[in-house]
Amino acid sequence: MAYSDKVIDHYNNPRNVGALDKSSETVGTGLVGAPECGDVMRLQIRVNPETQVIEEAKFKTFGCGSAIASSSLATEWVKGKTVSEALEIKNTDIVRELALPPVKIHCSVLAEDAIRAAIGDWKKKNGVEETATVAAH
Amino acid sequence: MDTPRTNESNCWACHASLAASPLLCPHCGKVQPSAGINYFQAFAAVTGGQPLLTLDLAALEREFHRLSRKLHPDRFARASEGEQAWSLAATALLNDAYRALKDPVQRTEYLLELKGQGVGEQNAGRNKSADRQPPADLLEEVFELNMQLEELRMNQKMGEDDPALTADLTRAQAHFDGLLAQVDSDLASQAALWDSGDDTARAAALKSMASLLDRRRYLRNLVRDVKDALATPAL
Repeated sequence: MAYSDKVIDHYNNPRNVGALDKSSETVGTGLVGAPECGDVMRLQIRVNPETQVIEEAKFKTFGCGSAIASSSLATEWVKGKTVSEALEIKNTDIVRELALPPVKIHCSVLAEDAIRAAIGDWKKKNGVEETATVAAH
Repeated sequence: MDTPRTNESNCWACHASLAASPLLCPHCGKVQPSAGINYFQAFAAVTGGQPLLTLDLAALEREFHRLSRKLHPDRFARASEGEQAWSLAATALLNDAYRALKDPVQRTEYLLELKGQGVGEQNAGRNKSADRQPPADLLEEVFELNMQLEELRMNQKMGEDDPALTADLTRAQAHFDGLLAQVDSDLASQAALWDSGDDTARAAALKSMASLLDRRRYLRNLVRDVKDALATPAL
């Protein structure tokens, strides 16, 4: 199976690899895994408390090229969005952008889960209602 | 291939019941068409045709050798074209069935596939991953271990050796080996529940086994990665 050029680009030049301070009030951390293939993905966001805009996003993924590309793209997309805008990102958007084949769709699902988990963690830390993430599943 | 059969469970030639031996008539010894026969049914002499998870491996091996001899395509060189084709198909099915059933993990995976709860990458995305998320503490450990592995590989590339890191990873390997053994023992308990329980218990066992196999795959990959990394000498 051949990877698309976009997957290869994100794989070779992943954006926003790294870590944010997990204990900070303004940072949300999402750690998710795909039991099917053993991938594990950590996505972190730093949210501006005034505007609820995601100012910084970092990820670290252990897994296949599609999983790395999906999470790399996810960090690019959430940056500059408000928390509620970021929740609008769907795995199908990632599939389309990266032209993922059917067997790799779960990588995009994982990235969407990671965004939701990171936002969920931030909301929990800051006492924000979590209705949006629950309803989505 | 279209020689008429009276029904699914009777020999096409002598009409004897095939319940105990679907691939080979126990009465007249004729090879039977194998379409639609599952692995457990192929070994009906051992499983009673039921999808059992607790199997007598010695009996399974004996039955495999017995059927392999009887179904071998060479024995059908002078038989009708239909029988030749059936013996080929039955032999292929028998080999696949034996390979899957002799291993407890593959046997369980096959059962879940039969019951529409297939696991593995090919089935990923069919169930939304959220209901199959591994527990948070395991994820933390997995992530941490992957970080250490990456550090080890980096050190190896630079030709450096960090005894403390190697010791950490050796400990981690033992820890994850232990978790893997625990999963295997949990799988065995669930298998017993599946074989002997009522419908409710069986449904619950099926679900537990699906998630145990997910966890097992996770751990197995990790243990393999740690072993590989530790076995690679620094350059």
